[in-house]
Amino acid sequence: MSAATLAAHGVRKRYGRVQALDDVTVTLDAPAIGLLGANGAGKTTLMKALLGLVGLDAGTVSILGRRVGEDPRSDRARVGYMPERGALPLDMTAHDFVMQLAELRGLPRRAAALRASEVLFHVGLEEERARLLRSYSTGMRQRTKLAQALLDTPELVVLDEPTNGLDPGGRAEMLGIVRRLSSDLGIRVLMSSHVLDDVLATCDAVCVLRDGRVAHHGALDTLGDDDTRAVIVRVVGDPEAFANALSARGLAAQAQGGGDALVRVTCSGDRDLAALRDVAMAAGIGIAELRSGGPTAHQTLIEAMR
Amino acid sequence: MSTADPPASGTGAGEARIADARLQRWDGARSGRWAAVRALARWSATGALGARRGWRAKLAPIALSLIALTPAIVVLGVRALIPGGAIDLDEITFSGYQRGTGLVILIFAGLVAAEVMCPDRRDGVLSLYFATALSRLEYVVGKLMATAVPMLLVTLVPMLVLYWGIVVFEDAPVTYLREHWLTLGRIVLSGALVAGYFAVVGIAIASLTSRRAYAVGAYLALLVGATAAADALGEAGGPGWVDALRLGTVPAELSARLYPGAESDSEVPLVGWAISYVVVVSVAAGVLVRRFRRTDL
Repeated sequence: MSAATLAAHGVRKRYGRVQALDDVTVTLDAPAIGLLGANGAGKTTLMKALLGLVGLDAGTVSILGRRVGEDPRSDRARVGYMPERGALPLDMTAHDFVMQLAELRGLPRRAAALRASEVLFHVGLEEERARLLRSYSTGMRQRTKLAQALLDTPELVVLDEPTNGLDPGGRAEMLGIVRRLSSDLGIRVLMSSHVLDDVLATCDAVCVLRDGRVAHHGALDTLGDDDTRAVIVRVVGDPEAFANALSARGLAAQAQGGGDALVRVTCSGDRDLAALRDVAMAAGIGIAELRSGGPTAHQTLIEAMR
Repeated sequence: MSTADPPASGTGAGEARIADARLQRWDGARSGRWAAVRALARWSATGALGARRGWRAKLAPIALSLIALTPAIVVLGVRALIPGGAIDLDEITFSGYQRGTGLVILIFAGLVAAEVMCPDRRDGVLSLYFATALSRLEYVVGKLMATAVPMLLVTLVPMLVLYWGIVVFEDAPVTYLREHWLTLGRIVLSGALVAGYFAVVGIAIASLTSRRAYAVGAYLALLVGATAAADALGEAGGPGWVDALRLGTVPAELSARLYPGAESDSEVPLVGWAISYVVVVSVAAGVLVRRFRRTDL
């Protein structure tokens, strides 16, 4: 069994006529993982499967290297969870709610009260902690849910659409807090979202779900690796001659043809780009445009979500 | 914060420290699972009784508790005001107390059970509990405690007040205690029996809905309806054992028979009431198991 943050093998789950998860197989190990997909893609179902909240029709899921359900008590102790909807008793104060959950997770009463204050401070609710949750804005409620997820500093926090319903300012603050969980506190994060920018801003790896299936997965920094190394150069001059000159310099280059004077060049870094510039100068070729040779990570993920 | 060391007042500049105000990992002590179950019971019970809530939430539990206590207070009050007068405390029996306050107990249990169970479903906190804090069994045990323990306010406390009141007014309290110590045990047992019965039935029904009004309505409909139906059957010439189907009075009838010489209009013996009690509690427990077994949340 690997110690991957999450692993799913052949996971199937059906609700009535809806196949929520269909042969989902994915293994990801990163400090922060984004679960990306349109509404209804199966993100929440996969998260609930990882939390042991739904029974699977087939397959197995593991978190942090241990199969879910083998030792439920230990699973619960290692995981924090921020549900997407509800999960807040509106007639309680934020402090009482978080303190109650701290006690349910095994903290002694006095320590639970102190810890509740600490996590609420961390999410910026220290001044408002004695107010009823009913009077909270959407952003404050989301922060309260995040606070309870951090109570006993779990190894993994599962965040289901944490920016849902937030205004741009609240969203930015929430994403900042989420990013700090993995970068500062060393807590692994599994965050679902249907907003690509949220995942790109906070995560190191991504799993894209589409219609209950894995459409794409991998580390974000290697996403579209081959594509981002390729550049397209529109030249003023002879593209064939420019491509030959680049090849003579050791760069893989090919004129695209079609009368657009385009040359596709594979560059592995700034040094190659500098060489491209030098070759152009030496050959008297003008560079009218230089752009990425393939889709960006953004475009790749959007395509996967469609 | 957890590991931050605030500078002591009056220290010199050379002793100043930089406090790390960021959230720290929790490395402190932990209580056991039983403490977590008790915490769930405490939070749920105090919430159901209206603690940290408006006066409306407190009204019904306090009023019903006082009503249940009223017979004991009246008896002792009259005895205190008119010594040796209208009430002979030696004639007081405990077997009929819970029958007399049966309706109060019934309503109290319905309200508390609904308040203990329904908000969790309504607020959607069950997935949070089961994913990160409690097992389903721990949850049910905690909720059962949260209902049963407050119920002792109406099933046990009034009889204890009456018992100790009698002791106080006795000419020879120690002799009374020596001669009636078994009665004290019967009071505790009967209080627990009645509280346990209504708590299990109450939370079983309340676990099926997120609406408190529906939970209370269904609970009263089941217990009062079954009792009325059994009464109707009995009056129509049905067999004597149909009394055991009076679900609203089963625990009071059973606990009344714990006291020697208890009077009853029913032909059903102790064993009959005990079987009825066990069957009802078992069915309610089955509902709870079915409701909270490994189902999707």
